[in-house]
Amino acid sequence: MKKRNRAGLFFLLPGVVWVLCFTLFPLLYSLGLSFTDKRIGRRPRPVQFIGFENYADIFSDNRVSEVLEMTVFIVLGSVLLTVVLGILVAWLFNHDIPGLRVFRAILTLPIFAAPIALGQLGMILFNEQSGPVNQMLRAIGAGTVYWITDPWSARFAVLIVDVWQWTPFVFIIVLAAMQSIPDELYEAARLDTSSAWTLFRKVTFPLILPAIGTVTMLRLVETFKILDIPYTLTGGGPGVSTQTYSYYIYLTGLRHFDMGYASALAYLLVVVAIIVSSIFFWRVRERYEVQ
Amino acid sequence: MQTSQLISRRTIEHTLLWAAVLLVTLIALYPFAWALITSFKPQRDALESSMIPFLQFKPIMDNWNAELGRTGEENIKALKNSAIIAIGATVIALTLGSTAGYALARFRFGIGNRNLVSWFLSQRFLPPVATLIPFFLLLQRFDLLDTYVGMIVVNATFVMPFAVLIMRDFFADIPKDLEEAALVDGASHLQVFLRVALPIAGPALVAAGIICFTFAWNEFLFASVLTVRDAQPFTVKIISTGTVRGIHFGFVSTRLLMAVVPPLVLSLFVQRYIVRGLTMGAVKG
Amino acid sequence: MRKLIVLLIVIALLLPAGNSLVSAQGGPFDGKTPEELFPNAIDDQERQSAWEALMAANLPDARDRFSGQKLTIGVLASGTRGVISGAPYFWREAFEAVTGAELEIIEIPFDQMLTTLTVDFSTNQNTYDAIINASWFYGDYISNEWIIPIDDYINAEGYPKWEPDKVAAPLRQLLQWEGKWYGVVNDGDTQMFYYRRDILEDPQWQAAYEEEMGEPMVVPPRTWQQVYKIAKFFNGKDWNGDGDPDDGISLHLKVGGQGFFHFMSLSAPFAITPAEGDDPTKVTKYDNIYWFDPDDMTPVINSPGHVKALEFLKELAATGSQSQFGWDLGEAWNNFLTGNAVLLFSWGDVGSLAQDPNSSTIKGKLGGAPIPCSEVWYDRELGQFVEDPENPNCVSNLVGASWHGVISSRSDNPDLAYYFLAMQATPPILFWNVVYGWTGVDPSSTTHLFPPAGEATVEDYVNAGYDAGDVQSYITAYGQNLFDFPTTQTYLRIPGTPEYWNILDMRLAQAMVGELSPQEALDQVAEEWEEITDDIGRDYLLEIYQASIGYTPAE
Repeated sequence: MKKRNRAGLFFLLPGVVWVLCFTLFPLLYSLGLSFTDKRIGRRPRPVQFIGFENYADIFSDNRVSEVLEMTVFIVLGSVLLTVVLGILVAWLFNHDIPGLRVFRAILTLPIFAAPIALGQLGMILFNEQSGPVNQMLRAIGAGTVYWITDPWSARFAVLIVDVWQWTPFVFIIVLAAMQSIPDELYEAARLDTSSAWTLFRKVTFPLILPAIGTVTMLRLVETFKILDIPYTLTGGGPGVSTQTYSYYIYLTGLRHFDMGYASALAYLLVVVAIIVSSIFFWRVRERYEVQ
Repeated sequence: MQTSQLISRRTIEHTLLWAAVLLVTLIALYPFAWALITSFKPQRDALESSMIPFLQFKPIMDNWNAELGRTGEENIKALKNSAIIAIGATVIALTLGSTAGYALARFRFGIGNRNLVSWFLSQRFLPPVATLIPFFLLLQRFDLLDTYVGMIVVNATFVMPFAVLIMRDFFADIPKDLEEAALVDGASHLQVFLRVALPIAGPALVAAGIICFTFAWNEFLFASVLTVRDAQPFTVKIISTGTVRGIHFGFVSTRLLMAVVPPLVLSLFVQRYIVRGLTMGAVKG
Repeated sequence: MRKLIVLLIVIALLLPAGNSLVSAQGGPFDGKTPEELFPNAIDDQERQSAWEALMAANLPDARDRFSGQKLTIGVLASGTRGVISGAPYFWREAFEAVTGAELEIIEIPFDQMLTTLTVDFSTNQNTYDAIINASWFYGDYISNEWIIPIDDYINAEGYPKWEPDKVAAPLRQLLQWEGKWYGVVNDGDTQMFYYRRDILEDPQWQAAYEEEMGEPMVVPPRTWQQVYKIAKFFNGKDWNGDGDPDDGISLHLKVGGQGFFHFMSLSAPFAITPAEGDDPTKVTKYDNIYWFDPDDMTPVINSPGHVKALEFLKELAATGSQSQFGWDLGEAWNNFLTGNAVLLFSWGDVGSLAQDPNSSTIKGKLGGAPIPCSEVWYDRELGQFVEDPENPNCVSNLVGASWHGVISSRSDNPDLAYYFLAMQATPPILFWNVVYGWTGVDPSSTTHLFPPAGEATVEDYVNAGYDAGDVQSYITAYGQNLFDFPTTQTYLRIPGTPEYWNILDMRLAQAMVGELSPQEALDQVAEEWEEITDDIGRDYLLEIYQASIGYTPAE
């Protein structure tokens, strides 16, 4: 038994060491940085320990409240829309029709495209004069929408690209959950009702609820990180209206080189991520035990 | 009477379903298709809504020639860098992921396997921007900024959770009889892993590898800060397409297609593993 | 013929073997065709004129010194035929032929420049030997000792000869720091005013204008207030006859681009007062001050004059397309060059881009004028606005990057770097770059301007394909911008300038799209500037600021 465990450690250790070096160490390092006034690019001066000053500054920083508006919008909007649309599409694909598998594979493509490229793609699609989106809108008489230069339209443009990329993600997960529901349950329920909506409400929905919970949390964490898409699509503009919290951390740390403050900002986000991921793992970790 | 009514109702339902499926597929594909068509258009036609080549516009190769041809050496170099970094990161992630995954599936650790797995996976939940600055200072300290090694290490770290998880699930699902038989015959654990377990793990390795490759290939934020020239991947290259004449739609299209096509094509091979891989195993696909 | 080729190959193979042999064999361009030297030229005319410029530049053969070396330069990212980065690509093969060295060009996107360069220097990456640099980086460069002075090179033997004395005086100071030369001239920036000569001078439009506005149109407009009326009149009218309503003005206001320069050049006459007395350029506590109070670094950016200018810019922007708020340079220029806007104020690029029939429909229809003055301005000393339409307040600007080369103090081969920069600055090559608009290199020296201050003639430009009327109007105005104004807005050259400007850019963009009022936006800027100032060190900055604007504190 002892020997067996040593062998296990031998397999496990390389991975553990790697994560310790390249995840835990950077995290601790940035925790340390967040208590200093570390900067680069200006005339050299000693780095000073300034306690919780950076953290205190966050609460009086009016830039934070500005970027939180966009962040809350994109997190709520994107999570809600991707989940609702994802369930709808999954329901669509949960019909027993030959040939659907191919389409399923096509639908997953957006997940694998580089977000930075999608931002660029969005820049063309939402081009105000001649992008296809506005051409379509004009064709149906909806007029010109200022996707890039009107603050709220720009927020929606970012939202649409993000939703377009991640709805498929919700879709395949919810579909997998739907397909694991045994047919007998439906057959039993059909004795009482023939309405598709009732079937969905009474049978499907309760059974896919755990998967929806999981996917909601994953989306939540992912959306907090959003940066690439506004970076290329709107450049954070017009003004600062599409700057997200992550974007602001980036600007603080790597445009203004205020590394201490940027680390403090980042740590607040880390805490949020830890809370959400703890809930997530608390729900799913049982299945990782070895019997 | 009743059957024919049923049939016609089913037909209507099917037609509606198919219409909806086609609509959804169209929405998913339209942007890519639009980029593809635009990449064959001259700049002045790029602003038109024409979609059918030859009939509505005369397709040209100019954009592709410019981006890949004589003046395209920068792009080719960046694509090569992307490939080197993504493959390097994938190899490391697979090596460490398959050993760790094997350990987590076959051995029981005092600390609790579920805790270990969560710990491995939690990396994926961290906002990358939080570790950007420490990574930057770390690589600077070891003189690894703008090098393949630096970028490979960073990306391997990000994509390892996928590898650990997919490999753990794979090993947990296969029977251990063969391995136990080999152990009884006197083989060491390492031999068993290399000669018995790994050879049958091919499909899972390919799937994990493709998912890792994709995420490393698509990474932009770290690349934009940690590379300047030598190791600069394509995601950074893609953002510099502005000219004095405004956005050149043709160039933007060609570049973004070059960026998205490799992972998209690869993804078609791993459909079976997408669900489990992307949900950190929370949902069985 | 074949024998000749074989001979050439043999020579080529011998090149690295012995340099003495090579110099005996002839000049660096012997056996090279224009096609080989200028692969990026798009037509024969361009290739031929470049070849002539190269020959006229009379570059010293430097293969014995530089053969096999490698030069790495950093430059604004806009591609092989784009603004500023286009010229190094265009002359690369010629440079490699004359030095035997290899030139590597690294493009850096505009909004990443600060990050990339600061990171590179402060982490000792030392990627670049030279940088085609924006003038606002000087404060950081000098205070960190990232670049070296070039005085010793200027008269040294064995380098291409350029003419520091002919750089227009206001621009010359951007290439120097405390009397020492650091930069080699390349691009010269000042924002001037452009209009559609054909439309504004059309008697029918003039009559229509007078009828609608109740006063005759002043052509070209001399003040911003006149500009606004003209823009307002033409906006929404189909004056180009394409069936759609067209624009009055065309601005580029995208955040993270170069939109804030519009505000800088426009607000100068609203917010700056020239000094009284003999020398209107004298800097006092109240006169010729735009950025900070020269006694204590209190931001002046939210003065009533600045706020009024921003309110005005918003009104002016309303006479153009809503999409302006998302436009970068290219889109705004394009809109004007394709005949969809009647007015524009921007850099010299527009004047030369207008001559290219591939991109412009307005060749022969272009008018240029110096940057307008303002009928209203704020006098900080009096603490009130002054209004005088008869004698408007005129303040010129050097707004922009004036992209030019500097040499890294960490370069392993500064000599080669200087050779490259000096080659780009030799009169024939520089003039070639100025004439071809796509290079983004704008007039900087008296050799590009018309008399009395300059030495160029209309024929010089007409020979290169310019419309005589266009160039007369454009180059004259450019010269007026540089020489004929009583005073010029000071250029901010303190450490941290890019950070100050980032904030200005962002807040201005917010005001332009209506998220903040002009007063709120500029108050925010002032508040955030104070934080940067305190962070870098007020006294330290104050000293540099005073020196950079030539202010002597009163005792």
